[in-house]
Amino acid sequence: MLPRNALSACSRRTPTRLWALSRPLATEAAATEAAKPSSSTLPPHPPKQRRPKPVINTGIILNRSPLITREPTLFEQAYHAYQARIQRALFNPFPDEFYFKPGTILEERFKKEEEEREREAFGPPRKAAASKDSAFTESESKSASESSENQSDNVDEPMPRVSEADKKGDVRSLDRRMDRNLYLLVHAKDQKGKPRWRFPQGGREHGELLHEAAKRDLFAECGDHMDAWIVSRNPIGVYEPPLPADTEAEVIPKTYIFFYKAHILAGQVQPDGKNILDFAWLTKEELESRVDKEYWLAIKDILSDF
Amino acid sequence: MSATAVTAARHLRPTKAAPRILRPLPLSEKRLPVPHVNVILRDTHSCRLADHYYHTVRDDLMYMTYTHEPHPRKPPRKIRPTYDPNDPYTKHRFNPPIGGPTWSKQPPPPTTAENVVKLERIQLHCMVKEAISSKSQLLGAIMAFRAISGESAGAGGRRTSEGVQIVRGKKQIGGWIRQGVPVGVKVDLKGPKMWDFLGILVECVLPRLREFSGVPMEGPSVALSTPASASGVVSFGLPPEAMALFPQIEVNQDAYSRMYGMHIHFITNAEGMGARNRVRQLLSGFQIPFARK
Repeated sequence: MLPRNALSACSRRTPTRLWALSRPLATEAAATEAAKPSSSTLPPHPPKQRRPKPVINTGIILNRSPLITREPTLFEQAYHAYQARIQRALFNPFPDEFYFKPGTILEERFKKEEEEREREAFGPPRKAAASKDSAFTESESKSASESSENQSDNVDEPMPRVSEADKKGDVRSLDRRMDRNLYLLVHAKDQKGKPRWRFPQGGREHGELLHEAAKRDLFAECGDHMDAWIVSRNPIGVYEPPLPADTEAEVIPKTYIFFYKAHILAGQVQPDGKNILDFAWLTKEELESRVDKEYWLAIKDILSDF
Repeated sequence: MSATAVTAARHLRPTKAAPRILRPLPLSEKRLPVPHVNVILRDTHSCRLADHYYHTVRDDLMYMTYTHEPHPRKPPRKIRPTYDPNDPYTKHRFNPPIGGPTWSKQPPPPTTAENVVKLERIQLHCMVKEAISSKSQLLGAIMAFRAISGESAGAGGRRTSEGVQIVRGKKQIGGWIRQGVPVGVKVDLKGPKMWDFLGILVECVLPRLREFSGVPMEGPSVALSTPASASGVVSFGLPPEAMALFPQIEVNQDAYSRMYGMHIHFITNAEGMGARNRVRQLLSGFQIPFARK
């Protein structure tokens, strides 16, 4: 995938042996061939232009991990409900006299909730049993529903799974799509001044290690008003941007972008507004429509589907 | 509608009462009805920490533990066995390689997406010294472990779920222990119960524990090839005060005669040199703090 000289640019010292190996080996055939033209005059070789050393850049895939559990699919919900009914039908009886003192409010409340869960799992009690004392059960159910209404004030309602940012469609907020992995895209000008969506990226200074460069580049582009953590010293992917189709293409060095994974732990991105025009926190599917096709093909397998 | 009805699982079809039993089921020895089929209970809910592992921690661990090996590994060095295997005189002797066992000196297998470090089970263990003289002293520990773990033998129709087990003395050691005497209890947690326990430990117990700076961890000078470093298990102990902080015990703490300390073992699939460090990386993904001694 990578030519040898791309990797050699990573090391701090360029090994001199690579150049030595590129010469033909001194075999007998080579010696005889070399002997022939020596008698006549050498044809003048056109000076071959060597492609300059490739440029190594780092890109940072800044991730906000899910904050809440994934919404189960319809099938999973039905499966879990079925298993919960089996469990309710077969489990050992709950030792409520061990956990609750008899006659306390807590015990009464637990029994009411337990009845309701029972009805949720197995439906209302059987008609034959209910018809015997129908008046009694009706009056009881009424009182139960009244008391449950009174109690519902005390019980804490769970927080909504959909945040304000989801309702507004605010892609800059870190609170959006709480059940998914989000990735940071920045809207930045490229070398020709044309704005493109891409991951934060940057160059590498002489003698700098790649993962250190990744950290520096992240804060350089996104501001230091956040707490981020680079996951590993190993890159998780590489992207080779296509070279412009010009005649001068031989002179332009190849570029490689090594991607690093990072997590945002606190704070928010604050770009300076000069080179970076905008940013967005997007899921994998939303990301596809914003980036170039070649870029998408390089990054799609290193992003999480969930 | 109350909160229980809102949070209850969703049914695809409206529930109705179970059908009337026309012919009674055969009864077991314990006078319990035996169903016609083997019923095995599976997951009743999706698990929060399991989700966290599969969506976040596993990817990170793979990147953190990956070492680039472009070339195939060298075959392991052949070590001469203690006795000549062709010598008929020593043919049937135990014949280990020279220099002792080498399992802890093996390099870790290459990291792939399939063998990322994964928590397999959590074992809780507690020794009750007083049980040597009277067995009934174990009852409190058994009850407490049942409440904490929620496991029982054969629960959900699964043969592998062993519940709270009694640990017996292995050896006769004068003045301390006798062989075969029940001295402690242990329980293995697997699956959703394991993740639930981990969540409770991290969110309810460890933050409220007094004078707890983190799970003690030895310095970097310890060799990575010792059996403890290469076994893929992280263990630590909790004092008796910690048991009262588990919410299952907290609600009726006065029902227990006393509180018990416990050892917790996190058992994983990590192997090879430095496996314990990789397990620590995994556990810190669940916010278990580690501190140098």
